Amino acid sequence: MWSARDALDMAVLAVVYLVAARLGLRLSLVERNITPLWPPTGIALVAFLRYGRRLWPGVAVGAFLVNLPISSVTVAAVTAVGNTAAPMLASWLLDRVGFRHTIDRVRDVAALVGLAALASMTVSATIGSLALLASSAIEADTFWAAWSVWWAGDAMGILVVAPFLLAIVTWHDVAPRLGWRNLPEAIVLFATLVIASVLSVTGAGPILFVLPPLVGWVAWRFQLRGAAPAVLVASAIVTWAAVHATGWFQDLSLFTSMLTLQLFNATIAFTAFFLSALVSERMRSREALEHAADELEERVQRRTAELRRSERELAEAQDVARIGRWEWDLTTDVVIWSAQMYRIHGFQPDAFPVTFDRSIEQVSDVDRRRIDRAVAEALAERRETLPELEYRIVRPDGDERILVGSGRMSFADDGTPTRMVGVVQDITERREFDRQHMIAETLQHALLPHDLPSIHGFALASRYIPAESGFRAGGDWYDVIPVAEGRTALVIGDVAGHGLAAASVMGQLRMAVRAYALEGGSPEQVVGRSDDLLHSVAPDDLATMLYAEIEDDGRHATMVSAGHPPPLIVGHDGARYLELTPAPPLGMSEHWTYVPQEVPLDPESTIVLYTDGLIDRRGVPIDEGMRRLLEAARTGHLDPPERLVQRLADVLEPSEVSDDVALIAMQALPVDAKAFSMRVLAEPRELASVRRALTRWLRTAGIPPDDADDLVLAAGEACSNAIKHAYGPADGSVQIRGTIRDGSVEIVVRDFGRWRPSRGQLGGRGLAIIEGVTSEVTIDRDGGGTTVIMRKPVRGSVTA
Amino acid sequence: MNELAKLVFDGDADVVVVSITGEVDLSNAAEVTAAIVAAAPNEVAGVVVDLSGLSYLDSAGIRMLAELARRLDWRQQTLRVVAPEDSRARKVLTISGTEPVLLLDPTVEAARARVTGDA
Repeated sequence: MWSARDALDMAVLAVVYLVAARLGLRLSLVERNITPLWPPTGIALVAFLRYGRRLWPGVAVGAFLVNLPISSVTVAAVTAVGNTAAPMLASWLLDRVGFRHTIDRVRDVAALVGLAALASMTVSATIGSLALLASSAIEADTFWAAWSVWWAGDAMGILVVAPFLLAIVTWHDVAPRLGWRNLPEAIVLFATLVIASVLSVTGAGPILFVLPPLVGWVAWRFQLRGAAPAVLVASAIVTWAAVHATGWFQDLSLFTSMLTLQLFNATIAFTAFFLSALVSERMRSREALEHAADELEERVQRRTAELRRSERELAEAQDVARIGRWEWDLTTDVVIWSAQMYRIHGFQPDAFPVTFDRSIEQVSDVDRRRIDRAVAEALAERRETLPELEYRIVRPDGDERILVGSGRMSFADDGTPTRMVGVVQDITERREFDRQHMIAETLQHALLPHDLPSIHGFALASRYIPAESGFRAGGDWYDVIPVAEGRTALVIGDVAGHGLAAASVMGQLRMAVRAYALEGGSPEQVVGRSDDLLHSVAPDDLATMLYAEIEDDGRHATMVSAGHPPPLIVGHDGARYLELTPAPPLGMSEHWTYVPQEVPLDPESTIVLYTDGLIDRRGVPIDEGMRRLLEAARTGHLDPPERLVQRLADVLEPSEVSDDVALIAMQALPVDAKAFSMRVLAEPRELASVRRALTRWLRTAGIPPDDADDLVLAAGEACSNAIKHAYGPADGSVQIRGTIRDGSVEIVVRDFGRWRPSRGQLGGRGLAIIEGVTSEVTIDRDGGGTTVIMRKPVRGSVTA
Repeated sequence: MNELAKLVFDGDADVVVVSITGEVDLSNAAEVTAAIVAAAPNEVAGVVVDLSGLSYLDSAGIRMLAELARRLDWRQQTLRVVAPEDSRARKVLTISGTEPVLLLDPTVEAARARVTGDA
């Protein structure tokens, strides 16, 4: 309930109350316990306001001890109850209305006067007077007189003492701070006040009225911190004079004296505190105003700085963008050029005054006529805008620049043109860039394979995604090369850098790789020779490359990586990155020995090669890029290559495409060991793929290589014959079927055309060869075409 | 020339040696023929065509060799064909019955010696 600290506080409070009460009783007018100014009430109120009403026992004990020597125990106790309850009620009411201890608002003064002084003190006056009456200390006819003196005394205690104490306890909470420089003024004012107070009560006339202005002055200068002590001093002196009936009070009756005193005290308290609160309020609003003005000033300054900055930034932007600004006053023919305008024309800023003629002096003749015509038309038709014109100028040093200009015209009220303003941009470099970019893009487009070759038994798909909607053509490329003897090379590469240079290096590299591969070089030889080539043709360039040679059975690959991101292997069981031994990119380390790696492949798995643009994206860490790609590959692990490639390309958000991306996927299709079927265009270039596909099937079926070679030769002859003889200039097709039955392989080649007898039939050398390598040949010819059936028994045939 | 076959030319003032690797079929035989004819100047005594590295040869290739022999013959130049016994080309030449009409040698060295010797 109460802490030790509270007990100590209560004890101190009781003592202070007691001392103040003893002083107050010296001023008693009626009996010995009713005084016109009762300071303990003010003390009790401030104690409750500042330190809490729980300290009430201190006040109660103090009040009881004060009254004990001058009345009975009962009266003392009852009086103490009243003296405690009144300030309790006052502090409670003040807290309820949000009373500010600094008394710096008029409503605080009103609350203090109305609620605390006038209303609450009726409690102590009533209880105390009744106690006196009950104990016969006063008679019934003097009850109201006693009551009113008690009430007025307590009210004055509140009005005079409480503000003084509050001014002390809130001294440092109030602005402005008072310093030593205020001291002389304070001393002078207080000295004057004391002297005036003493004179006013000791003088012969009723000159109490000079005191309120003085107190008001103090209040005006120092607000509560001046008003409260001033009121206390003036009231104390005047009250002392009234109690001792000296000076002006000496001939007055008790009642008049009392009335005068209370009116005086009330007047100066009101005057002082209202004035002080008013001044405080005024000062606060002035401060708020000043603060707002300061803020406004600061905002204006900030805005001005921002404007200057954006002006500077605009000038800088114009510099960077090579935009010059001009303004032509039509009435004076004065042209104003911006600094950049002079620079565009090859001069120092403000090198000379400009006129319209001077401003187009450097323009080539043809372009000058166009400008003249455009300006004349705009003037004649009073057009608001000048058309955008592209023109060439020659700078003093002979440098030719391409400029593009546009402008706007202003008119006077009567419609006469007065002024033209416009901008001119130097687009020489941009034009050159556009031109190079166009070449690079064309080159890139020309260099990538238009159509992927069709390789029987494999499905292929690829994508090329240029960076930022084709802004830069890059050095990314891929290729599919059917290399000799049933193998296919899949290659992807990335030349560092962009633009024309990268694209042309890419073109050379791609062609070289193709040539090396077709020459029969092993993967490590192809990559090694490409490395040598790059060192010789573009010593400063670097390129990554991944070369994978895949056996036609789709079960085995040989790979060499030169600093390229790892391939993805996508199969029935999901997707994974293939870890290849790291080796430097091409062009990095001369005579590096690239080492091939043998990679077994699961049936029907897909190899995906890609360039780093797919995983190294803007704003995405490379690990995260690889993780996302792998996730997409896992999601689509059952997709055919075309859909898989699309799915992987979709991993890229358009905003993340900071580099070109090339992507190629190849899947080994399942081989049916029992039967072979293929249909190709009747064209010589298809022969190689027929041989390749047939070889793959025969190998898968376990046919010995020698027998397989013979069967391929026989089928090749039959197909060649169909191509030569079956069709006219229009396209036709040839169908090849193969079956294995009773220890023999049967190959059927069928065309759907009409034989041209004059050009011969299957015969001569071709037939001789077929007959030489097979055991049985049948040729059926009917209206729908020709069918050649070839049969050959094979050793150790595995399929029934 | 398409990419099925690759030709490597060698030789000296007397003889041109052409090594054909890869495959020769209907699709590239004419081109290969033209390339070899173009590479053999009038001064040389003969041409050696090395088929030992060839992985596929069929009747189109045989026709090529016959054509080549005929055109060189116009210029009194010799065509010698290198096709070792165990090679794929030799088998096709044998089966097709061309073996007797062509001048065959087991190695390039032997073929060159015969050309310069004949000259």
